[in-house]
Amino acid sequence: MAAIELVHLSKVYGNDFTAVRDLNLDVAEGEFMVLVGPSGCGKTTALRMIAGLEEITAGEIRIEGKVVNDLAPRDRDIAMVFQNYALYPHKNVYDNLAFGLRMRKVPKDDQKRRVEEIARILGLGDMLDRRPAQLSGGQRQRVAMGRAIVREPKAFLMDEPLSNLDAKLRVQMRAEIARIQQALKVTTVYVTHDQVEAMTMGHRVAVMRDGELQQVDTPQRLYDAPANLFVASFVGSPPMNLFEAVVERDSDRLVCRVGDTELELPADVSSDRPSLANYAGRRVAIGIRPEDVREAAGWDGARLRGRILLVESLGSEQLVHIEIAASPLERSDLIDTTAQPPGPSLGVEDAERSVTLLGRFDRHLLLAPGEAVEVAIDPRLLHFFDLETGVAIPTVDVPVATPVAG
Amino acid sequence: MSSVTQIAPTPVAPVVPRKIGRRRRVHKLGWNLLGLLVLAVMVFPVYWMVATAFKPGQQILSYTPQWFPTSPTLSNFRDAIDQPFFWNAVKNSLIIVSAVVALSVVLAFLASLALAKFHFYGRKAFIVLILGVQMVPLAALIIPLYILMSRLGQIDKLTGVIAMYLTFVLPFTVWTMRGFLLGIPKELEEAAMVDGATRFGAFVRVLLPLVGPGLVATSIFAFIQAWNEFIIAYVFLHTPEKQTLMVWLASFTTLRGTDWGPLMAGATLSALPVVVFFLLVQRRIAFGLTAGAVRG
Amino acid sequence: MASVAESEFPLASRRRRRFTRQTVGRALAPYALLAPAATAIGVILGYPLYLLVKMSFEKYGLFELIRHKGRWVGTANYASILHDGQFWHVLLRTILFTVVNVTLTMVLGTAIALLLLQVSRWLRIAITTGLVLVWSMPVIVAVDIWRWMVDYEFGVANWTLTKLHIVNFIRHDWFANPWTGFAVITALIVWGAIPFITITVYAALAQVPQELLEAAAIDGAKPWAVFREVTLPLLMPIFVILTSLSIIWDFQVFQQIWVMLDFRPTSDYYTMAIYAFHQSFQISEYGLGASIAVVMVLFMFLATLVYLRQMLRTGEVR
Repeated sequence: MAAIELVHLSKVYGNDFTAVRDLNLDVAEGEFMVLVGPSGCGKTTALRMIAGLEEITAGEIRIEGKVVNDLAPRDRDIAMVFQNYALYPHKNVYDNLAFGLRMRKVPKDDQKRRVEEIARILGLGDMLDRRPAQLSGGQRQRVAMGRAIVREPKAFLMDEPLSNLDAKLRVQMRAEIARIQQALKVTTVYVTHDQVEAMTMGHRVAVMRDGELQQVDTPQRLYDAPANLFVASFVGSPPMNLFEAVVERDSDRLVCRVGDTELELPADVSSDRPSLANYAGRRVAIGIRPEDVREAAGWDGARLRGRILLVESLGSEQLVHIEIAASPLERSDLIDTTAQPPGPSLGVEDAERSVTLLGRFDRHLLLAPGEAVEVAIDPRLLHFFDLETGVAIPTVDVPVATPVAG
Repeated sequence: MSSVTQIAPTPVAPVVPRKIGRRRRVHKLGWNLLGLLVLAVMVFPVYWMVATAFKPGQQILSYTPQWFPTSPTLSNFRDAIDQPFFWNAVKNSLIIVSAVVALSVVLAFLASLALAKFHFYGRKAFIVLILGVQMVPLAALIIPLYILMSRLGQIDKLTGVIAMYLTFVLPFTVWTMRGFLLGIPKELEEAAMVDGATRFGAFVRVLLPLVGPGLVATSIFAFIQAWNEFIIAYVFLHTPEKQTLMVWLASFTTLRGTDWGPLMAGATLSALPVVVFFLLVQRRIAFGLTAGAVRG
Repeated sequence: MASVAESEFPLASRRRRRFTRQTVGRALAPYALLAPAATAIGVILGYPLYLLVKMSFEKYGLFELIRHKGRWVGTANYASILHDGQFWHVLLRTILFTVVNVTLTMVLGTAIALLLLQVSRWLRIAITTGLVLVWSMPVIVAVDIWRWMVDYEFGVANWTLTKLHIVNFIRHDWFANPWTGFAVITALIVWGAIPFITITVYAALAQVPQELLEAAAIDGAKPWAVFREVTLPLLMPIFVILTSLSIIWDFQVFQQIWVMLDFRPTSDYYTMAIYAFHQSFQISEYGLGASIAVVMVLFMFLATLVYLRQMLRTGEVR
């Protein structure tokens, strides 16, 4: 029995707009589950349904085995941290923290003890009589967290709590929240649109899009084995390079033709992906992570030739934009377009037959725009996707389509 | 942990909506019934006035109330209009109202310009004065006002009434116009000046069009105040030829005993212009007095 | 020399500038703009206020009216009214009247605003429109309507109350007894005052951030607790403003009573405003009337102060 179970959960507004469609998700006891996706994907709606702030159109929500669909928020024993903190402006920090305890008629002494302890842990000890307006953004954030923690609920629900903080503070608070959750071991559902937050904080991450769950997995597996084009393009920064290729059969081998280049696929690549053979003669989508795009010196395998468009120096490495001859992905509706490299690129000779490849190159290499370059492609690191559905062509160690029981 | 993958193209279960909890539906129904009751009670007097205005005499003067005007007639309206001095009263009200609206808009606009766009000595004091002076009861001020007006020879004169009405609407209209002007971002003015206008030119070209709605709102407010006013008109205008519509209406009963039909008709006619304008501007009026009190 | 910022400079630094015709003109501009309005307010509001206070210390009868000049009598007027039993009756009556009216208005107005939050959208629009309709009724029109409704012979009020078996009111004259008479007047005034309160409170309620209410609900607060702990404190400033405005308006009630009673209210119906009016315009003792009016203003002064302070606090005055 999981701590929180979402079973065929759906939310429809009016008669036509489906915000959440048939969501099935289990959050284990003590797990930090992140719901991530672009705006409008339904993650906040799902969270609010768990909290009881939105009516459920269809499906069930169970908390510790008990169906809570008809329970009012105050009876679900959950705590929520809002994006704008929702601190009571006319109460001081102490009263803000103590509010939930007061409402549940916790004895005054217990209130005092618990509030002061949480305040101490969160570094709010000497701010107890200040009002929210007198606190900084980070302090308000901590009060919002404290208010949730002090109630010792069955689950924390967090709705983009870090979005209103500046970048540096966000990084710091991210770690704090993760550490607090690990120490308290409270089941947490965390909503964010930032995939970096999702990856760094969650035990498991559920990627959503347009109301539907795309994939739920540990961050590493999401990165290494995305289930479809959307997840592949959404997770990872800089994003995975995606473009089209044609799979062809060359006697007993499969090759992959990218533009004019033929990449031979070694036997282990084909045997790891049994269904790839069915795509012989057809176009597929190919993905390769920027860090798997290497300068070809010393590589005796498949190579792609290209021309450097831009070099972004990050200090620790260089992010190189390379124009290669390949077919760009036509199905832009299948991917997350917000993080893709700019295109059609200025200065590209033939936009329809070239693709900008992002590579993460060693920082010591001397590279300049306009130069020709060869990149090494290790076919074992390629990801293949069906071009019509966007679904990944699976590798054998990944189970195919196992929907959540229920 | 086993990784679980949901493949996008697997058909998702169709959404079968559950019925909204019966408890919630009953709740809503209860509130709505109560709301209807409140609506009926509040609006009934207005309805009753209009219904009576259209009812023939015998339906009005019946011991059992006739809830609907089953045979509507215009005779009450004709009666009311045929009353002596009705058209005089309408004329007087129109004259006064037009003068007050015109003058108050001009004066209020100028004054609010000063308050909104300049920092000068005595500015805050003037603002406090404006707010405070609205609070002095008219019933108290009318005594010395009468004395003052009689010294100035303005008893029983429309001009005196106009001057008084004008002054009484000024505080609120200045306040509202100031609010409007403050709402216009300084950047617009500055952009106009960078583009080549003088300060005054910027005023005219940029502020005036934007402040249009403010001018409309304040003139409607002045209209409503001047049209509805009774006490001053009653005290200062003695001869029937000079009286305004409200005084005419109030005197209706004393002239003819209680002729309810024509009285209600007269009341309906008197209220008509204001109802129309009020519907146009009610939000501004509420907020002018209490704006911003819940901020933050 | 940024001419844009010039008017933002405080007076001190302005002195350092050369007094060209332009700078002087610009410095005088606000005063010139303000002059017409200030003059009107000064002459018709300011001077009479001064005159009111002066007259309260004078004997000002018909004789003085003709001569345009009052006769100084010091505090004689005040002594006279303070020793007059009727004055105290009237004052007490006005205070009681104000308390009842303001309480009813604020409670009912707020209740209806809360109700508006609960009803369906179409009904909300209907009720708001109805309220605006009521709000727009001129006072005289409203008085006439209510007079008709409580007519002793054919009015709906008597018929309805009798039909509901609450009381037998056939041919009942509501104004024969000042208690029932004031009940009618109170109903009239509260009826006319509710729309403004409701619409303003409703707008304020809509400004309460939804998240705050949700947070309170999640924290375990029942609906009434949410209202008491979150909504009410946030609404306090607006309540202060509305209550003080209501006090100011209800304390000076005049026309409703005057017109309702055919311009001839008996002394049982006197409020301070009517009392002052009667002294001045009916008995022609303008001095006495003025002194009563001054007491009235003093009583309202406290409410005025509260209102002003609250407006200043919420940042309206910059």
